[in-house]
Amino acid sequence: MAAPQETTSRSRRTVELVVLAVLFVAFAGASAAGKRPANAPDDWWVTRLGVVIAAGLTLIMYSFLYRDNPLFKMAENLFVGVALGYGVILTWRQSLKPEIIDPLFIDPPHLHAFWMELARRSAPIVLGALLLTRISRRAGWLSRYSYTLMVGWGAGLSIPITIHTYVLQQLKPSLGLVSKVLGDAPAGQQASFWSTALPVLGDLIILAGIVSVLFYFFFSVEHKGAGSFVSQLGIWFLMVSFGASFGNTVMGRVSLLIGRMRFLLHDWLGLGP
Amino acid sequence: MSSPPSQAALRRLAVTRRIIYLLVAIAVAVPTLSDLACDFKPSPWAEKVFKKVESLKPGSPILLSFDFDPAAMEELHPMGLALLRHCFKNDLHPILMTHWPSGVGISKQIIEKAAKERGKVSGKDYVFLGFKPGDYNLILNMGESLQGAFDKDFYKQPTQGMPALEGVRSLKDIPLVIDLAAGTAIEMWIAYGRDRFGFDLGAGCTAVITPDLYPFLSSGQLIGVLGGLRGAADYETLLKRPDRATKGMQAQSSTHVLIILLILGANVHYLSRRMGAYAKG
Repeated sequence: MAAPQETTSRSRRTVELVVLAVLFVAFAGASAAGKRPANAPDDWWVTRLGVVIAAGLTLIMYSFLYRDNPLFKMAENLFVGVALGYGVILTWRQSLKPEIIDPLFIDPPHLHAFWMELARRSAPIVLGALLLTRISRRAGWLSRYSYTLMVGWGAGLSIPITIHTYVLQQLKPSLGLVSKVLGDAPAGQQASFWSTALPVLGDLIILAGIVSVLFYFFFSVEHKGAGSFVSQLGIWFLMVSFGASFGNTVMGRVSLLIGRMRFLLHDWLGLGP
Repeated sequence: MSSPPSQAALRRLAVTRRIIYLLVAIAVAVPTLSDLACDFKPSPWAEKVFKKVESLKPGSPILLSFDFDPAAMEELHPMGLALLRHCFKNDLHPILMTHWPSGVGISKQIIEKAAKERGKVSGKDYVFLGFKPGDYNLILNMGESLQGAFDKDFYKQPTQGMPALEGVRSLKDIPLVIDLAAGTAIEMWIAYGRDRFGFDLGAGCTAVITPDLYPFLSSGQLIGVLGGLRGAADYETLLKRPDRATKGMQAQSSTHVLIILLILGANVHYLSRRMGAYAKG
């Protein structure tokens, strides 16, 4: 005789299967109910088939909110496979074909043009090919030449640019308070108290934030007394920053849901204004 | 040490979670189906981008880099469409490109739709350069010679002598660049493009990365930013042409109200339980 828990599980599974069958029938009915517009092009059915498949996959992906299930796993694997296949085709069509195949074998009008193109492109082609030697244990060391060049080139370019963009340029707003206090008002302009005070207050907050957050990550001095206060202030600034990031993340995710919902309601079911 | 949650508590949690999902779905679906208008004031950062585009003379080039793929379509597609509609309305010559190979299809779709609405012609009124690998190397290359970096446009037409690129030899000849990005491309454009070649740079991005760009606004490295669906709705409002993003703001607002209420409710519930336990000793 089956245990009570096993019986409950089996009956629940039966209910879930019945609900799934009803949902499938409802999905098929809703998909078939889509009417062809009067001025629809000849290939309307192809587009409609794409919409129905996309709607089905969207609903399957959202079924995860109820529970992990085989349909979700299938859709997940399908997505990974399609994304990989799409990536391979994109790399071929957007990079390899226009950068190597077309200029060397399709476009050049004569042999001289071929040799000119080959001379221009041989170094990148060889360095790119060397990267592929990573798949071989014996020849893998050859890929280091490409990596060496990439790292050297990247570091050489990015170090001065990073210092300029992320440090020197960012010092400007951090020192805005100093320039406002020391700088003269533009000739002919009579600044009001509030128009001067509010930006100065903003600069003060920025300055306090920078100093306190930097101090929070400064571990050479024990954070006690006044140091503890500054460190705590740094934590508050960080928390506000994380809150802003979290709020924006929620907004971004809701936007994605709005997009899917609009697709299901408007494009698939034909509802709404 | 606290004891692990009981089976009943876990079941209750699973049910509560599903109720929240259902409430969020209703909060999105009802405004999507309704025709209610949502009134809002565009942000000052969106206004700055709009005014900068507005200040360009007819025939001026403007470079748009659409560095996103269909995953960010809901936020950046309406933004790109509104920007291109604005460019074509003012008879500017947009130059469109992408750093993402998976962004070519969506970029082509947007520019062809906006061009068709105004009867604009590729090569004469706008240029679609498509994708080219290289990331920051490509930007540096474009800073030296645009025609050298892209000898042909997406439609295989030579860029040398193209009417839409008249007077444009490199990035230095372009007064305004706007990057719509779902990743770190905006920072790349700031570091390797704007700071090096001196053009004005505006940005549009997904809501998730908007806070990361605030430091560049106060330093003047960005003239303005359109953040997420709200940024797209701001631009549509400024353009006086409400579309997908503006319609989405009703659902966005109702969901935000719901989330705030849920957070408040959960905190009140948590505090009352703590106070109850404290009173019991």
